[in-house]
Amino acid sequence: MATTVPAAPTRPRTLVVASAFGTGSVVMYFGCLFALYFSIRHDAMAWGTQWYPEGAIQLVPGGMNMSTMAMSAITMGWAVHAVINDDRIHAMIAMALTAVLGIAMVNQTVFYFKDIGLPIDASEAATLLFTIVGSHMVMVAVGVLWLGLLLLRALGGQDTSRHRDLVSAAALYWYASVAVYSVIWVGIYIAK
Amino acid sequence: MTTTDNAAASDSAPTSLEQAVTTTDPVVLGRVWGFGGMTAVLLGAVAGLLVGLERLDLGSADVFGSADEVFQFWSAHRVAFVLLGVLPALMALATTVVPRQCSGPLVFPRAAAMACWTWLIGAGMTVVGFLVDGGLGTPGGGGQREATALTVMGLLLAIGGLLLASVCVMTTIVSGRPAGTGLRDLPYTAWTTLVGATVWTGMLGVLAANAVLAYVDLRGRPAVRFGAEDAIWEQLSWMFTHPAIYVLALPVLGIALDLVSSVTRTEQSNRDVVLVATAAFGFLSFGAFAQTFFDTPGTPIAEEAISVVAAFAIVPVTLAIVGGLADTLRRGAANLGSKPPAEAVCSLLAALLVLAATAVGAVRVIAPLELLDSSVTGAHFALVLGAVVLGVGAGFHHWGEELVGPKGRRPGLFLLGGLAVAGGTVLVGVADLVSGLLDQADFTGVDLATAGNPDSGVGGLNLVSMVGSVVLLAGLGLWMLTGSLHTAANRKGAA
Repeated sequence: MATTVPAAPTRPRTLVVASAFGTGSVVMYFGCLFALYFSIRHDAMAWGTQWYPEGAIQLVPGGMNMSTMAMSAITMGWAVHAVINDDRIHAMIAMALTAVLGIAMVNQTVFYFKDIGLPIDASEAATLLFTIVGSHMVMVAVGVLWLGLLLLRALGGQDTSRHRDLVSAAALYWYASVAVYSVIWVGIYIAK
Repeated sequence: MTTTDNAAASDSAPTSLEQAVTTTDPVVLGRVWGFGGMTAVLLGAVAGLLVGLERLDLGSADVFGSADEVFQFWSAHRVAFVLLGVLPALMALATTVVPRQCSGPLVFPRAAAMACWTWLIGAGMTVVGFLVDGGLGTPGGGGQREATALTVMGLLLAIGGLLLASVCVMTTIVSGRPAGTGLRDLPYTAWTTLVGATVWTGMLGVLAANAVLAYVDLRGRPAVRFGAEDAIWEQLSWMFTHPAIYVLALPVLGIALDLVSSVTRTEQSNRDVVLVATAAFGFLSFGAFAQTFFDTPGTPIAEEAISVVAAFAIVPVTLAIVGGLADTLRRGAANLGSKPPAEAVCSLLAALLVLAATAVGAVRVIAPLELLDSSVTGAHFALVLGAVVLGVGAGFHHWGEELVGPKGRRPGLFLLGGLAVAGGTVLVGVADLVSGLLDQADFTGVDLATAGNPDSGVGGLNLVSMVGSVVLLAGLGLWMLTGSLHTAANRKGAA
């Protein structure tokens, strides 16, 4: 081997660093979809083409989901704060609440998609809509599973400040999912 | 311990297959990445050779039945080299050598194992997808839809595996190195792997989004746009051309810097300049923006200032890195002896090929020459990927003792294979470059119109290019033989 640095104690926060890299890649994934969505939408608008049929996209479901995700960001922060302070009960309540809010968001999106009356192959806009919102649902579902695992570990005793990286890493991912949804809410549900 | 305990223990002893599949040993995983990657490179070279044979007569279909079949192999050649070949082979070094350079173990070894097997399954699905008339779409829509869906799904799995492995490697470098060791203190291989992995992690996320969009539109009903047979490849093709493919060359430059420094026993001077130059090389190789499929009315993205400036800016940056390499070689030449190590020769040739490739990449974007869709693009691909294969091979040989074992190394055979890989790459690159200047298209199809109605001289050049493919394949074959003999000698030694 060319050069080797001498061994010494390793750095902490491995999980958070890994979560940052992984989340960064996920954000790039959504960045691509958003770039395509806004670019194609801009072209369609410039040519005077209708992007979505009148009344197809409702503001209320998107707004409800946004407020659900915003609340989950607060409960996620609560979980991190509780773990740092060795507050076992509050940490578990906060993580469970965050997971429930995530499930509620997925449930509401599925209900809306069944009700929307816009087939996935209706237009490029519909295909992009289903791909973006569907991908975000998967992102939230992965976050819920992650929180479920954290809850299991917390029940096993790993919920002290010594293990706060476990929750911080999940929180980073969760905040990213909230940020992604805020772009969906503004760019798709409000701007239509 | 009782007799019953002993019997139970021997009954539950894992078989060698179970051990291989369940291991989290980075060296074993590195072998899977390395062997799988180099096998894919070999398969990609075979696909390239078949396309080269077809190009000997541009006016008719001789080897394949139709233009769509040529396209499937032509695209398979590029996918096999980039996502199934070179990137996994780089991952072999990244999971074994890089952690040791950082003086620590690979973090998340179980995730790294899952990444490796996910990639392998995805790579298998992708290869099968191409072989059963699928691939990434065809211009004439003659492929099988279900097989195309299988290929896209395989590609997504392969991307997922590569992403997960990259996260493990990057975290190892950032978080696993000892406290007090800055990023500036890292060996070049680790540093360039960190920069390269950061860039390709971003690009693979974007590529996954393109693939998911195509898959969603492809399944179950007539495609709206993104999943149309003639549209899938163009959405994904940015990953297999300028500037995205440069990112693969970055760790190879790092390997060359480390190898030359090691064999000449000379420290690299102006270290910070080289570090900045390699970081700039990584920055300039970010290519997710160059999606020609989504060009809007006006200037195509490949002709926009950002693409042209990036193509020209990377030339002096590469020159600075190669200059640093040459300076180390000059100062340490006395330590090389009469027979320089084979891996040093190969890594130096790889660095020179990268430099040549950046020059070709700059020529390619000169607007009046109109070379973007010509076979200059193929020449550029061949030079970059040939350089990367050569550099990765040099890395495998240099760190072979750690990957495979100390016995059975054959530097002579390795050097012969390396020279064949370099020679074949140069033949293909130069022939395709001149063909492109004579108006030959990148994808030639099976009729003269698709081939761009080139000048008659391209017939001879295509023959030279085909000979280059044969030489390249022979070099890869020699390397596979060298690797097999090396592995066999160490297995025998272990037994």
